[in-house]
Amino acid sequence: MQDDLDDLLARAAQRPVLPSEALMNRVLADALARQPQASAPVPRPAPRPGVLARLSALFGGPPVLAGLGTAAVFGLALGYLSPTTLNYLTGTSTETAEFFPQADFLTTEG
Amino acid sequence: MAFDAHGDTSDEVLMVLYANGDRHAALALTQRVTPRVLAYAARLLGGDRAEAEDVAQETMLRLWRVAPQWRQGETRVTTWAYRVATNLCIDRQRSRGRRRQMALDDAPEVADGAVGAEARLQEAGRMAALEAALADLPDRQRQAVVLRHLEGMTNPEIAAIMEIGVEAVESLTARGKRALAGLLSGRKDELGYEDDRDAG
Repeated sequence: MQDDLDDLLARAAQRPVLPSEALMNRVLADALARQPQASAPVPRPAPRPGVLARLSALFGGPPVLAGLGTAAVFGLALGYLSPTTLNYLTGTSTETAEFFPQADFLTTEG
Repeated sequence: MAFDAHGDTSDEVLMVLYANGDRHAALALTQRVTPRVLAYAARLLGGDRAEAEDVAQETMLRLWRVAPQWRQGETRVTTWAYRVATNLCIDRQRSRGRRRQMALDDAPEVADGAVGAEARLQEAGRMAALEAALADLPDRQRQAVVLRHLEGMTNPEIAAIMEIGVEAVESLTARGKRALAGLLSGRKDELGYEDDRDAG
């Protein structure tokens, strides 16, 4: 009987169990109904401005801040430069004025 | 529906493509997996075509649901599908109790039209008897025999589907075949195996 059984099983394995077209259509309909859609690129929210950007906006924006910075640097330069260099740069001479001529004794020793 | 744009693509890659919205992948997976699950379910359910179709559709539905979380390399799609179909068949068998023996009229038609009507009837009777004998096996033995001898799977593949060891598969298959032989031996005359008896 073992040989008969092997033969029977082999023949049973070769018998196709074909799906009906209706079943295939139902399965495909399920597949398409539940298929995740290809995701479109989602626009990312604009990044929140940083502290410096917000501070800059407070003073009127980058152009105004740049002007202020330039003026500040120029003012510092004027303060540090010696009068000779200043004369060279401006093409003028500097007059020396003594407001307290009698006060030299304050700067001399003994 | 016969067009398969992913002829060389593995089932596992198709799952990823399906999850990414590729409609051709949906079609390819439907065409590849559904017939196998249907055949397996029909054999486990003793040829009950309507129930087998329900099991096949439910199995495929679960496959579509799990696709977005599918992790390549963990398991094969067919292994997963057979496992789900097995559990669905067991649930159905338990819910309806032991299924009725398939009537001769329910036997699938023989595809070969060259054989005569008598031989076709005898062949259908043998297949019906085999289905009935398979149905009388314990669940695990039936699964192992069907997967090994009707689905043509290897023991490691069966072990993966049944989530047991290869040795356990071998044991289940051997015991299942012995039980099948015992069940069918009482019906040798009915099945047209009298020649064996005469020869023996």
